[in-house]
Amino acid sequence: MLWRAVRSMDVIMHSSSFLLPKLYQPVNKPVKNYALVVLNQHLPRFMPRLWDHANLKICADGGANHIFDEMYQITNDEDKKSTRNKYVPEIIEGDMDSIRPEVKLFYSSQGSKISDKSHNQETTDLHKCISRIHHCTPDDEKPNLCVLVTGALGGRFDHEAANINVLYLFSDMRIVLLSDDCLIRLLPRTHRHELYIESSVEGPHCGLFPVGAPSTSTTTTGLKWNLSESKMRFGSMISTSNIVQSEKVTVESDADLLWTISLRNLT
Amino acid sequence: MAPTAPTQRPTMRHSSAFLLPSTAPSSPAPGPDDAAVALVVLNQPLPRFAPLLWSRAAVRVCADGGANRVFDGMPALLPGQDPDEVRASYKPDVIKGDMDSVRPEVKEHYSNLGTRIVDESHDQDTTDLHKCIAFIAENYSATNKSNLSILVLGALGGRFDHEMGNINVLHLFPSINIVLLSDDCLIFLLSKMHTHEIHVEKSIEGPHCGLIPIGMPSTSTTTTGLRWNLDNTSMSFGGLISTSNIVEEDKVTVTSDSDLIWTTSLRK
Repeated sequence: MLWRAVRSMDVIMHSSSFLLPKLYQPVNKPVKNYALVVLNQHLPRFMPRLWDHANLKICADGGANHIFDEMYQITNDEDKKSTRNKYVPEIIEGDMDSIRPEVKLFYSSQGSKISDKSHNQETTDLHKCISRIHHCTPDDEKPNLCVLVTGALGGRFDHEAANINVLYLFSDMRIVLLSDDCLIRLLPRTHRHELYIESSVEGPHCGLFPVGAPSTSTTTTGLKWNLSESKMRFGSMISTSNIVQSEKVTVESDADLLWTISLRNLT
Repeated sequence: MAPTAPTQRPTMRHSSAFLLPSTAPSSPAPGPDDAAVALVVLNQPLPRFAPLLWSRAAVRVCADGGANRVFDGMPALLPGQDPDEVRASYKPDVIKGDMDSVRPEVKEHYSNLGTRIVDESHDQDTTDLHKCIAFIAENYSATNKSNLSILVLGALGGRFDHEMGNINVLHLFPSINIVLLSDDCLIFLLSKMHTHEIHVEKSIEGPHCGLIPIGMPSTSTTTTGLRWNLDNTSMSFGGLISTSNIVEEDKVTVTSDSDLIWTTSLRK
């Protein structure tokens, strides 16, 4: 084994190609596997393309109500019934205090597995869903798995904070929280990060936030206002309303950072 | 510098009485009559209680496109009233910011009614909210700023970098009572320099609440009045944070070695 005198940090590559209408498969790269978790808030406009790209779809409790009620409105299908039959999650997971009985019955009859976790009040619905995915995914497949989550942002602030904390608690997984306006990812300090920007669907506004703890040194490339071994801290400087200026953004930091980028109008 | 022992920290009192429909005589906290309220409206849809807070406020500032939201949104929230009358009476005192979002006809409408237009497009270093808070703090002539509450609409949700920037404004002005409000919840900063007494108005807020250490872990936080109280407990992202907690008492106390964000849900 080659021993390098100066060990460089491993790189994680991130891409939002799941937002494109059609997934493309880059040559010589392992096939990306997407899972989708739908939380209990209004669906983003681009939900159909996320659903189409995902191999596993999990509704967290009341997320199933939103799929049931809103998918046919988003797709503009005339036939409500056939749309409902088309968008059936593999699993409905959570404490089942929000899902309507008729919705639960419908999906159960369509083959969805109902995973009732009402005995477990310690963790949020998102935590339960990510925990299940984490448990079922072999370690060597985790780098190729990307979990897309809708409905994690906005709404009650304590829910949003708990959902962001799930990114920290499962920092060995690629998890992306999505809303109509933006997406966020955790960039763990253990790695250098390369973010490949799909400018047809995301940008230009972006930001980096040391939500858990301050950073004494963060360095970026590809932004309008790059950081150069810069300090970042709540109560002082954090990077908001930055602008992506390159197809590739790199980030290296001594602190875990939340990355966010705005989404373009995707309908 | 050695940390101040909890018993030596001055107490800061917080109350959401400004959300009550009318002055409730039973409220133990300083009532709305004692506190001056300023309102800042950012560029997102107005929450349903915007007219109530507008009527409570001594000064109303729209940050740039927030003026569009008042122009379009207030008549919609007051369907029983004539839209033109609403647009004339719900007039901001100031429209401030870099002016890249406010519609020209909206700016002109309010300017004609006497609204002060303060163009800050030369200053790209601070967010719209930061400019508004600094403006109110400079212009508020009360001898005791601790009576001033600045209520902010439209700071949560939407673009996440905006939300983070708005939360950072709470950290940048720790001695001013600034409350960020949405339809679903409110948040404010609990500075580590104080022990906090939060008077919960159970008719309008709760039962859900949370304490979140944004920006820095807390090695020791102690609370009373919650269903799951903390007792010299550590909190951090990647570890425990207090979410989906429940307010049990009318008064909640919080002492921490770190700045915390407090949040309560708002009843529908």
